[in-house]
Amino acid sequence: MTAAANSAIAAKRPARTAAILACGLLVVAALAALSLDPLSQDLMNTLEPPSLAHPLGTDHLGRDVLARVVHAAPRSLGIALVCVTGAAGLGIALGLVAAYAGRLVDICIMRLCDLLLALPGILLALLLAGFLGGGIIPMLIGIKLALWPQFTRMSRSVALGVLNEPHVEAARLAGFPARTILLRHVLPPVLRQTMILASLGTGAAVMSISALGFLGLGLKPPTPEWGAMTSELIPYLADAPVQMAAPCIAIFLTVLTVSVLGEFVLSRRTRLPA
Amino acid sequence: MDAVKALWDVAAPRLWQALITGWLLATLCFAFTHALPGDVALRVAAARIGDDRVTAEAADRIRQEEGLGLPVLDQYGAWMMRLVKGDLGRSLVSGKPVLAEIIDHGRYTLMLGTIGWLLSYLLALPIGFWAGWWPGGAVDRLSMGLAVVLASLPTFLVGIGLISAFALTLHWLPPAGFRTGAHMILPALTLALGLAAYSVRIVRNAVVEVRQAFYLTYARIRGHSATGAFRHHGIRNAAIPIVTFAALQFAYLVDGFVIVETLFNYPGLGDLLVRSLLARDVPVVVGAALLIGWTYAFINLAADLTCLKLDPRRSVRDAA
Repeated sequence: MTAAANSAIAAKRPARTAAILACGLLVVAALAALSLDPLSQDLMNTLEPPSLAHPLGTDHLGRDVLARVVHAAPRSLGIALVCVTGAAGLGIALGLVAAYAGRLVDICIMRLCDLLLALPGILLALLLAGFLGGGIIPMLIGIKLALWPQFTRMSRSVALGVLNEPHVEAARLAGFPARTILLRHVLPPVLRQTMILASLGTGAAVMSISALGFLGLGLKPPTPEWGAMTSELIPYLADAPVQMAAPCIAIFLTVLTVSVLGEFVLSRRTRLPA
Repeated sequence: MDAVKALWDVAAPRLWQALITGWLLATLCFAFTHALPGDVALRVAAARIGDDRVTAEAADRIRQEEGLGLPVLDQYGAWMMRLVKGDLGRSLVSGKPVLAEIIDHGRYTLMLGTIGWLLSYLLALPIGFWAGWWPGGAVDRLSMGLAVVLASLPTFLVGIGLISAFALTLHWLPPAGFRTGAHMILPALTLALGLAAYSVRIVRNAVVEVRQAFYLTYARIRGHSATGAFRHHGIRNAAIPIVTFAALQFAYLVDGFVIVETLFNYPGLGDLLVRSLLARDVPVVVGAALLIGWTYAFINLAADLTCLKLDPRRSVRDAA
């Protein structure tokens, strides 16, 4: 593809281009700032405005805000990705089973989905985090629990449609075992359809992680985490606007980038129905 | 009478569904309390008299008092009986009945949630309607762009943005707390913006779809004006997805009010929930979770029934 064609596409898709640029910029900045220490305190220089030594200023304990924002990124994204892959794996597997197995299994699985969907997502994560005392594991389980029913619902309905198609019927008549039919004929279209959920889910998971951190039920301090940083700095909102804005913008850009990039990858790899 | 019976035939399964969800939720909460690591009696004792003063005797006394030594099935039966009687136990921290605490805080949340929800539709209905009436126009593109941005912002960021703009910079409104009506505006607006980011799209799409429907073209052919045709034939049809979605949004509202109340120091249910979670006050947490879950099931039921009323075709289709 020529450069001209590329820039023509870029002009047509400003959000997408901006997201990709932001993503690249973030990666470069992150690599440069990873060498900074997010934990060392300097109580003589708290809430300093931005300077050359501290490009985004220092927080209420004199820690470098840039370092903390950057060090939080791989953690948030990593946890979000683990949650989403786990939820997608479990959800799709159960969705396929529900579609293929008998009525009783189907009812049991879908009832369970309804039950979990009847609990607002953050409530599950909150309860687990609260009862098990914060930290990564309850958060992982809680967010995963909230995410998988959506995958199950979608993959079940896609699978039910595919199972009725003639080529699947033919495969069944040819005597292929259920496993082969599910993996070879049903899974690919299900994966294509659930990709969009995975991309949305990653953004939602990043938001949930920061929300839990904000409530004091996420990663334990002093681990750098965007939500927790935000809530720590709220008392100093008037004095430290830059320090406050930094984690906020980081969350916003991450969620936006994840969803726009997800859509981009999706539109390139699959032919979406218009 | 036949109409009532037909409605009942369709409504009954949904009612059962809501009841079963409610029962499963109660069971889940029971399982949750008992699956926690460690000794329940020890935990209760720790919450009541402090971590460092817990003794084996104190734990034993609590085990006796609360019947924690009984077989699990007996405890489950007792728990269900108490729930049916509306007894959610007592808070481990304040010692007050859980139900009283929840009602006390719930009033504030109900008020905030209702105002926020109404405000969101005050924003979403006209904007979504405008955007859907002229799809591709300036209002459409601008509102959809804004909706995407708002949807990528966690609730607390929207709230912080509003606080710094309206409270700290312009000094129009108080930043946090709860004393006067003015204190309600920013939290309600935070909730409303988060809700409207999604509902504006639903309203727009519903309007676009109905405007393209053949029955509207037919009404135009019969000589109705564009607005008249929409008023007669469009509104009910456009309302169905909007009502369904309005109920689904309750889930978002819960995410929203937990955060918003913590951020704005607002004395509602979310604030109670977070404080009890941090204090490991299990009865209050379980009570609040149950109540939120049940309310959600009830609202879904109400939305289903409203849709039946709006679209009588459904009751025939579902009963068949």
